[in-house]
Amino acid sequence: MLPPMEIRLETLKSLSQLAGFDWSDAELEAVRPAVARTLDLLARLETLPLASVEPTTQYRVL
Amino acid sequence: MPDLVWRSVTELSRMILTKEVSPVEVVRAFLDRVTALDGKLKAFITVCADAALEAARAAEAELVAGRAVGPLHGVPYGPKDLYNTRGVRTTGGSKILADFVPADDATVVRRLRAAGAIVLGKLNMHEFAYGPEGLNAHYGDAVNPWDAGTHRIAGGSSSGSGVAVAAALAPAALGSDTGGSIRIPASLCGISGIKPTYGRVSRAGVLPLAWSMDHAGPMARTVADCALMLGAMAGYDPADPTTSVLPVPDYLAALTGDVKGLRVGLLRSHFTDVAIPEVRDAVLAAARTLERAGAVVDEVNLAEVARVSAASLAIVPAEALAYHAEWLRTRPADYQPDVRERLMIGAFVTGVQYVRGQQARQLLRQEVDAALERRDVLLAPATPIPAPVLGEKKTMLGDGESDVRSALIRFTRPFNLSGHPACSVACGFTTRGLPIGMQIVGRPFDEATVLRAADAYQRSTDWHTRHPVLA
Repeated sequence: MLPPMEIRLETLKSLSQLAGFDWSDAELEAVRPAVARTLDLLARLETLPLASVEPTTQYRVL
Repeated sequence: MPDLVWRSVTELSRMILTKEVSPVEVVRAFLDRVTALDGKLKAFITVCADAALEAARAAEAELVAGRAVGPLHGVPYGPKDLYNTRGVRTTGGSKILADFVPADDATVVRRLRAAGAIVLGKLNMHEFAYGPEGLNAHYGDAVNPWDAGTHRIAGGSSSGSGVAVAAALAPAALGSDTGGSIRIPASLCGISGIKPTYGRVSRAGVLPLAWSMDHAGPMARTVADCALMLGAMAGYDPADPTTSVLPVPDYLAALTGDVKGLRVGLLRSHFTDVAIPEVRDAVLAAARTLERAGAVVDEVNLAEVARVSAASLAIVPAEALAYHAEWLRTRPADYQPDVRERLMIGAFVTGVQYVRGQQARQLLRQEVDAALERRDVLLAPATPIPAPVLGEKKTMLGDGESDVRSALIRFTRPFNLSGHPACSVACGFTTRGLPIGMQIVGRPFDEATVLRAADAYQRSTDWHTRHPVLA
């Protein structure tokens, strides 16, 4: 199991501004636990054998 | 005819075509019931009473002239309020689109209209389809009709569709399913619903949540009704580049009732074994019912599901935010809080994580395909729990405590990632009288076998014939 993801408010602020959102500290603080949980779970995808897997968004559209 | 509203779509269609009842009588019966009950149930966002009656009168005139336009001639239904309907507002369950009136129908609405179906009204939903609870701060939380004493959620996001069909406010409905939004309310409300294969049904004119995970499909009390609806909806659509050119089989004709030799894989770990005991026992009993009908049941595990399911946490927030970015910048206060928070998460998903999610889902597809190489369908609970009480946050599953939201999507989401067709049907009731749902999963584009198995199960059981007691 990977260690729990830590994410600082300043990091969230920078990332959200980069994405074009001007969210307040209070708004970001409110969402911070959910972001940390999400990034924690996404980190687990890195343990999957995906090196030779091509991303696909459609299922056999015939 | 007091029991008209409890007739199936298939029965109503036959009764209308044989002139046993008129489309006007049918539409009036449902509108009367909506008037009587929907103030409490909150299944509808918009009721199209005048337009529905006008369409019913036109359908009646066609019949008198000896013309029936299609297999759903004069039969009313309700689309979830994210299907565009020409001239009728389509809110997506939101304040943001409260006054949006589309100029055109969604492709499936147009196809159902061409088959003779009549739009009764637009159905409630979790705002912008972003939540499995079916909550809506703008139009009210739909009420699960199976518990008269306690406000239990209907499940979502197609909450109004689940409630309308379960309470006989409409004989059928349309839902959409990005993480389980057809199958979850079908399970919690005790009705049937099918998420077809990705690419089987057009999503053109349907408000998106996450393009690569969204599926459109029908909900009704019987599997046969879902088959009838799906047959009218499915097929290639040039307006939706993801739709398949594969021919659409006659789904009703596929419902032979025969499952002798059908190979059924019962999903154990991550699925049946994680559900609460009443749900687990009901699904095991359903497997035995199919066995008695001649199916061959074995057990199967999908080892990668637990790890791969996280892929949706990259895909859905990123795609949803891409759609909502402008509104989230300019009208953030107009979203209900839980949806705003889920959308915000998309801003923190990197491009690499998104692609990793799209790669990971491929592993799941391969695993489900492999399980279906030697089996015709897979069987699992649709949800691990029955309908929770409104506001309930935590629940206990077989592998520990879970938040309700995660629990609701746990068994359905894998098949949004994999794209396989999956149908939910009622398979029992808890001691408190709440419905239990199971899902039957099939090979890509083999909805016919999924529906055949689910219909055969309904022919052997009577769960789908039970009605909630409503004041």
